[in-house]
Amino acid sequence: MTSIRIVDLEKRFGELRAISDINLEIEKGEFFTLLGPSGCGKTTLLRTIAGFYKQDQGDIYIDGELINKVPAYQRNTAMVFQNYAVFPHMTVFDNVAYGLRVRKLPKDEISRKVSAALKSVHLEGYEKRTPDKLSGGQQQRVGLARAMAIQPRVLLFDEPLSNLDAKLRIEMREEIRAVQKSLGITSIYVTHDQEEALVISDRIAVMEQGVIQQIGKPWEIYADPKNTFVAYFVGKINMLTMHLLEGAEGGLRSAVLGNLSLLVPSEGTEGLSEVIVAFRPEDVIEAATKASQNKVMGILKTVSFMGSVARFELEVEGQEITIDRHRPRESDIPQKGEHAFFAVPSDSMLLFDPKTGLRIGRGAKK
Amino acid sequence: MSQKAETPSIRHSRADIWSFVIFFGFVIVIVFLIYPLFDIFRYSFMDKKTQTFSLSNWKTFFSKVYYLRAFWHSIVIAILTTFFSMVLGIPLAFFTTRYRIKGANLLNTLSVLALLSPTFIGAYSWITMLGRNGFLRLLFQSIGINLPPIYGPLGIVLADTLQYYPFISLMTAGALMTIDRSLEEASENLGARSIKTFFSVTLPLVLPSVTGGALIVFMMSLSNFGTPMIIGGNYLVLPTLAYNLYTSEISQTPGMASTVSIILMLCASVVIVLQQWVSSRRKYASMLVNRPVIKQIKGIKSVLAHISCYGIVFFSTLPLAVIVYFSFRKTSGPVFKPGFSLDSYRQIFFDVPKTVTNSFLYSITAVLLIAFVGTLLGFVIARKRNAAVRILDPLLMIPYMVPGTVLGIGFIVAFNKPPIILTGTAAIIILTYFIRRLPYSVRSAASILKQIDPALEEAGINLGSPPGRTFRTITLPLMQSGIISGAIMSWVTSMNELSASILLYVGKTMTMPIKIYISVADGYFGTASAMSTILLFVTGIAMFIVNKYFNRGSETFIAA
Repeated sequence: MTSIRIVDLEKRFGELRAISDINLEIEKGEFFTLLGPSGCGKTTLLRTIAGFYKQDQGDIYIDGELINKVPAYQRNTAMVFQNYAVFPHMTVFDNVAYGLRVRKLPKDEISRKVSAALKSVHLEGYEKRTPDKLSGGQQQRVGLARAMAIQPRVLLFDEPLSNLDAKLRIEMREEIRAVQKSLGITSIYVTHDQEEALVISDRIAVMEQGVIQQIGKPWEIYADPKNTFVAYFVGKINMLTMHLLEGAEGGLRSAVLGNLSLLVPSEGTEGLSEVIVAFRPEDVIEAATKASQNKVMGILKTVSFMGSVARFELEVEGQEITIDRHRPRESDIPQKGEHAFFAVPSDSMLLFDPKTGLRIGRGAKK
Repeated sequence: MSQKAETPSIRHSRADIWSFVIFFGFVIVIVFLIYPLFDIFRYSFMDKKTQTFSLSNWKTFFSKVYYLRAFWHSIVIAILTTFFSMVLGIPLAFFTTRYRIKGANLLNTLSVLALLSPTFIGAYSWITMLGRNGFLRLLFQSIGINLPPIYGPLGIVLADTLQYYPFISLMTAGALMTIDRSLEEASENLGARSIKTFFSVTLPLVLPSVTGGALIVFMMSLSNFGTPMIIGGNYLVLPTLAYNLYTSEISQTPGMASTVSIILMLCASVVIVLQQWVSSRRKYASMLVNRPVIKQIKGIKSVLAHISCYGIVFFSTLPLAVIVYFSFRKTSGPVFKPGFSLDSYRQIFFDVPKTVTNSFLYSITAVLLIAFVGTLLGFVIARKRNAAVRILDPLLMIPYMVPGTVLGIGFIVAFNKPPIILTGTAAIIILTYFIRRLPYSVRSAASILKQIDPALEEAGINLGSPPGRTFRTITLPLMQSGIISGAIMSWVTSMNELSASILLYVGKTMTMPIKIYISVADGYFGTASAMSTILLFVTGIAMFIVNKYFNRGSETFIAA
């Protein structure tokens, strides 16, 4: 069942189109993430759904009801704010009870709901504390409990974890995910952290310049990016613009850049003379023999040892290329300036049209 | 399918309470500022006899030495006061923020008390010390030192400086305390010795604050009426000239008084504009990670630092102490007798109790108005920036540049004729207090609001609370302490107001500052001392409350 439907939404600030052509359908109980760099319009979209901005064009439906003209305070779209927005002059209890009191619920029901909300964010016993006695993580839990308590039609998260330190961020995102699933409230989550988005979401919309670039499950976004922006933004990827040679054989075609020659899938490259060949650092394999297909030689610039992985920065035909070596051993790691060899399997390559930036070949149809 | 036309944005969809507030703001500005000021303007271009347009007043001003001299006097006094205030204020700020000075808090409190006390009290006290029959002057005479009487420019600069230097010391100290220690450490780390560091890093960083403070002192001294009136003797400055002209033109159109008023207002405006420019231009955003250290100093250095700090504060507190002392002296009519008594207080409460109640009644009424209207207008200015508000905002700041004397003259010429007649009423005095303090209250409400994260209000709305309820349950409680401490400061300044009310009072609406002025003029120093002591006491109590219960630092006092 559709919980939120957005049709042709556009919001301008003066001349600037903050968001445009937004079309979305979010299922009931879904955890939906808006992912993009700062200024991409993701927060604008969220705030328009909350009613803090009024769109210039388009419609927003919640549970089938058109809410364009419903003021923010009647939308029942509870938000968890980036800087917590916990009322500093109220206790934890009063904060969580705020929305319930506005709804004129009976006293005993309020205290029951507040207790339940605080319990689900592990803040039992904090009722009488004031926000200045709470850590950032605890304040955000209050913010979350406060939003949940009113049993909103949709929960909106505006980069709720960006002010927390890395370790707490990971802890909190798991908690948010668990609470959201147990309550089954439809959630829209805004973040610029692609790792966070991949971990937490049922589906992700990647945004750039006010436009949705791709909507998909985390796996699809990562493995089948629709264009170079999505490929660049989600995960690490290498891209080489290469010259295509005529003639395909066995579904493969030769692409060259200087002394480098790779066999790339020919599907979708018909009529192109150039192509962007992209591959992720983890997809390269060790070039065991000199005869290995698609062997690449690079000069080692830097090595970052990260435990389970060693990340090499190489120079290949004047371009920076990053590859990962799994389970590295000290003896495996070449010295800076030495040559390093690896191979790129043709079936792990992603191809893009250099003129449009759009994906071609396998995966392009989606 | 464009919806822009039929659904304007949610915030402005209804003619809500805020539109009414904005409208009301314009009414206040037009009726109580633009109208009186325009009347002054009109009178300055009106021939006394023919009542027609003429430049005769302006020609007179620029051709007669009598007028031009007052102009130069004003400028000279303001420059000297500013200079000496810096001489006292900067070292005091530096010593108290960088070195461990015993009792630094006490020094701070005493200098603020001097700053907030009514301007004329200091002047009057210096007369009791160094006037013609001043006890200090007589004391010096008895040991063969002949001091000239204090009347005139020397007295004005002395009284003004000792009252206003805290503007500079407090603002400089504020800036010094927010310089990150690592900036000075970086300078020393790069090889600069302390003196070099002071002049190349510390001083440039606090310079905007010093300049800002200096311009405030200049402005205060320029528009001060009480001090030159009491201690100036024949040395006229623009405010006293305007007052004298007004009282001598009482039966005719106040052409010359109006002309002088406009010139005074122009001078004040230039200074205000400069001050705004300085404060907007050079604010160094500083990430205060490492607070500056307060150094422990020893030996001769420590002794000298203590002597200069205590010396400065001693001389600014001395006039207040002298007043309090004299209020408890035995009197017989205008003459002080040996011994102590409560005669002077008794006299106040038997002879002029109305004056005391008037002062309290008027100032409290005004403050309630100020707090209420100021908060609403402050909210509009901070949160509802539409075209109308952008026009209203600077208009509300006009009272900053209107010296009390000018506002007094404006009110009297505007409100002694239809359509609005207010002369002789208590309302006109209350309205004067209201208008003079309104910009401070609006500013402070707006700046409190700017520190309140808009997300808090959004959270309220988001949780289902309508805008009105959100304002009441979220915004207002968060503003509360700021509003109350601001109101207390407004109350003190209203209690101590003289320059406008002296033009507007009639017998039954006399207030304490006016009574003090008249008593001093008539030589009844006992009554004047007792009343001044009451005002000082009130000022002190207010400061104490603001400090203790609202935990506000000295910034509150200088913003006031």
